Amino acid sequence: MKISILYGTETGNAEMLAEDIQAELEAAHDVSCDNLADTDPAALDPTRLYLMVCSTYGDGELPASAKPFAEAMDETSPDLSNVHFAIFGLGDSEYEETFNGGPKLLAELMIARGAKQIGERVAHDASGPDLAEDIAFPWAEQVVAEAEERLGAPA
Amino acid sequence: MTGKIAIVGAGPSGCFLAQALLKAAPELEVDVIDALPVPFGLVRYGVAADHQGTKAVTRQFARVFERQGARFFGNLCIGRDVSLDDLRAAYDVVVLAAGMPVDNRLGVPGDDLEGVYGAGRITRALYEHPDAEALPDLGPNPLIVGNGNVAIDLLRLLAKQPEELAGSDLGPGPSDWLARSGIETITVTGRSPAARAKFDPVMVKELAKLDGVSISVSGAGEAPDAEAAKRLDALAMIDGHEAGPRKIEFRFELTPAEVLGEAGKVSGMRFSTPQGGEESIACSSVLTAIGFGPAKDLPRDALVAAAADAEAGALAAGFYATGWFRRGPRGTIPDNRADAQALAARILEDLSADPAKPGRALFDGQPGIVDYDGWCRIDTAETAAPTEGRCRAKIPTRAGMMKAAIEGVTTR
Repeated sequence: MKISILYGTETGNAEMLAEDIQAELEAAHDVSCDNLADTDPAALDPTRLYLMVCSTYGDGELPASAKPFAEAMDETSPDLSNVHFAIFGLGDSEYEETFNGGPKLLAELMIARGAKQIGERVAHDASGPDLAEDIAFPWAEQVVAEAEERLGAPA
Repeated sequence: MTGKIAIVGAGPSGCFLAQALLKAAPELEVDVIDALPVPFGLVRYGVAADHQGTKAVTRQFARVFERQGARFFGNLCIGRDVSLDDLRAAYDVVVLAAGMPVDNRLGVPGDDLEGVYGAGRITRALYEHPDAEALPDLGPNPLIVGNGNVAIDLLRLLAKQPEELAGSDLGPGPSDWLARSGIETITVTGRSPAARAKFDPVMVKELAKLDGVSISVSGAGEAPDAEAAKRLDALAMIDGHEAGPRKIEFRFELTPAEVLGEAGKVSGMRFSTPQGGEESIACSSVLTAIGFGPAKDLPRDALVAAAADAEAGALAAGFYATGWFRRGPRGTIPDNRADAQALAARILEDLSADPAKPGRALFDGQPGIVDYDGWCRIDTAETAAPTEGRCRAKIPTRAGMMKAAIEGVTTR
């Protein structure tokens, strides 16, 4: 299936995880990996599955590289009703009140424009015992399988 | 694109720069040099021991050495073991990313009394930097001067109960020092109004989780804009937090005028107030978190003053600066990433490589250099058997690090 990984990053951790997910999925799928800062929300393609990887920064806010994307969403209000996405969050439960606030905001923005979310929003906790990829790889496999069922046979 | 690049300083700025250079031009020879036998600078010795999530950024830096081909030259001090001129002659590009480790002084009468300590001195000792001085007795009522994230980190560590440090990498000596501190009250003072304090609101909100403390905030004032409102909201959230007997008091608009002493030791602090008045607060020690300056190994201020384009980090042909070393001691890890990425683009634009330059061959025969594999042996030694409730047992001495770098797992 055609998959685009889009990352929103501030320290580079989400970018690294996005590249790892790309490497993991590449053998079986057509996968691209791009910074949300370089992504036009109006150009999202209904034939692709979007895997979004997003951190949280500051006080539960979007990371720097997701902000231009969010601003473009606000300005252009694109119709995303045929767009499918899944979202993975990076966070730190030391800051419990705002834990994974960034990916939550991003998912809400997508859904508000009609995009269909596949699977649950899964979060990695930097203060927890697991490595991000150990949570993210099974998540990616599962949402890709679910997307293949919903969007039709693998391309 | 080929070329030999030396980065002085293996902290976040140096590592992000190596990452960005090698991502754009994988054929470059990028050598990251540090005066310590261990890499990662302030991520290891400045990010608080109880903020392990923030330290996860070292996984990116490990890849710079493990996959992108950067080389680590630890225990090599530029300006002492090798001169800056020799380094510049040997490499196409030299970048100074050596940070700012020296505590700024208060600059008021009494700032040399026994009992006045810089935040860097205390945190280096808490985080077991090999060059740290011993942890001093702060007495029952330390007073913190400064309203940045460093001040809040220091406050939080001093305020925590021993069980609140579970999962950190705080060593046994510092843990014991904190547990026995006998601190009753911590006063935090800032020169600015709360609206213009430098801390991140999220750092203040984190204090609401503390178990053993009661917090009061006085004179926070009004918020002139939305950004300031976030700060005041965070302070309002912690004001009145009551979970234990240790008192934390936040005060604002107090400009240090004099450290008061008795028999050569700190007994209080006199401040001037915006109304032209004065106020004295009794305290048993003064902890200053009012910024940092450069180390003496490199003539930082002269280099930046003579820079061709200081804003872009261009000091001279083939000679650059980035991170705190360039900008001063402001900005967090992502700010330094952005700085390093911008500088990488500039370096690649400017680069003209001379294949005759020897590069890392300059260090042949230099004794005691720790390479990346040596660091991995130190890292393994530190993480193999941490004590109960800790994720790492840092080796606190250079000799111990050097032994572990050569032999691998060993005892502390």
